[in-house]
Amino acid sequence: MSTTHFVSGTWNWNGKAAGVLATGLLLFGATTSAHRIEKHFTVEPRAVITIHNPNGKIVVKAWTKHEVMVIANHASDKVEVAAEQTGNRVDLRTQQLADTVAPDDLRADYEVSVPEDAELQIHDDSGEVSVANVLGDMNVETVAAGVDLEDAAGYLTVKTVGGSFQCIRCAGRLEVSSISGSFRLLDLRSYHVRAQTSTGNILFDGEFLPNGIYRLKNYSGVIEVRFSAGDSFDLSATSLKGPVNNEAKLTPPAHPQRLSSKFGYALGTFNAGRAKVELTSFDGTINVRKRN
Amino acid sequence: MATIGCKDFPDYLEPWMEGDRHPDALAHVRDCPRCRSLVEDLKLIQATAQEWGRTESEPPAHLWNSLRAQLVQEGLIHQQSIRRGWLTGWLPSLPRPALAGAYLAAVIAVAFGLSGPVNQRINRARWLEGTQNSTTPLRAQFASAEMNATPPSLPDSNPTVTASLHNNLAIVDNYIVLCEKSVNEEPENELARDYLFEAYQQKADLLAQLSERGGDGR
Repeated sequence: MSTTHFVSGTWNWNGKAAGVLATGLLLFGATTSAHRIEKHFTVEPRAVITIHNPNGKIVVKAWTKHEVMVIANHASDKVEVAAEQTGNRVDLRTQQLADTVAPDDLRADYEVSVPEDAELQIHDDSGEVSVANVLGDMNVETVAAGVDLEDAAGYLTVKTVGGSFQCIRCAGRLEVSSISGSFRLLDLRSYHVRAQTSTGNILFDGEFLPNGIYRLKNYSGVIEVRFSAGDSFDLSATSLKGPVNNEAKLTPPAHPQRLSSKFGYALGTFNAGRAKVELTSFDGTINVRKRN
Repeated sequence: MATIGCKDFPDYLEPWMEGDRHPDALAHVRDCPRCRSLVEDLKLIQATAQEWGRTESEPPAHLWNSLRAQLVQEGLIHQQSIRRGWLTGWLPSLPRPALAGAYLAAVIAVAFGLSGPVNQRINRARWLEGTQNSTTPLRAQFASAEMNATPPSLPDSNPTVTASLHNNLAIVDNYIVLCEKSVNEEPENELARDYLFEAYQQKADLLAQLSERGGDGR
């Protein structure tokens, strides 16, 4: 594999650079930076792209080329962006060049275009991560950064400490965990969803696929699940110390089950019970709402 | 020939670990590979706990697998709570220097969870005593890990991350207090124990992250 072309440089504040920078600003929206690199890597199917960034915005989009294009911007001389290819893997990393770096100096923003079957491994402590139209497996880890996925598929694992997570029109298998982040899972077509947060809210507004398993769990906050009249699922909703508000008309289970909660619970089958839906909270509220 | 079965053996475990080995329990362990393996694992936990703080060596991988299988079998945790990405997904991702500590925290939490059915079968007072015995050293270990993870003099290169880690640590601490209260009120409640177990895992994970970053979120 080889780098097809490479553009890198530090802008000097002369008239020409200012003009080019103005064009750059138009291309990059509000991102202002003194250092910009652009790299292109030719890859084979199912390439792996890793991004490790302590602070900043990471935007990944799929395109139809068999190529990875990286555009990275950073303002400080105290960090650099390293972009390397090893076999079918492309590694992108923000590296600290000085022993002490001020918080703002750590920031680097990435725009990455990848083939749609690419596999992504992203680590971004703070800032934000946004991925669209990538169908390969994906692992995203952040501390405070929020994560937005759109039209993703494959095996998606997302872990944040405090960052929120949103997934729109995702398919495949989704596992997401956080401590205080909230989750919004919209128009999902996943056959396996496991979402767990401690104090965050969880909204699930998607399809319950036959034989799908949907496990949503938090400690406090609200878990809200929306269903349609034609959905088919077995529901087990339990809040140890909080209420469960259920609008689904359930057929009670054939065999009595031991209940963990004296407070809120809803157990039973909706239509044929093809999917399995488990909602668990410690003292949060669980809402099972009929979709309008 | 052993006069007790696997169901009864947990009642003999606590004295066993203190060196008091009843002849019936000895006979059962001789005959039963599963309980023999459990005893060996618990002995290993005990040894690891004693070593913690003196060494950073990685404990054997089979230990967790064995304990996990035991917990699932005992019904203390569900299969779903140990899927990739939550518990098993966490431990391998922990930084090497902090791995031993975080691992220990997890296994002590496991040992705490394991003591549940033993004490339940005896009586509530013993269960609570078991809880206290298990959680007191755990709290001490966490306090020590917390001090090591947050040296006050280091410069803070990413305050957003540091603040997030500390805020979430406070959330988990609060969550542990409430879960412990709930477990004490209803020792037989599996769900409450699951939540407490997970809170300890989260705390171990956060401390590991803080430790890796030198306490300043780098």
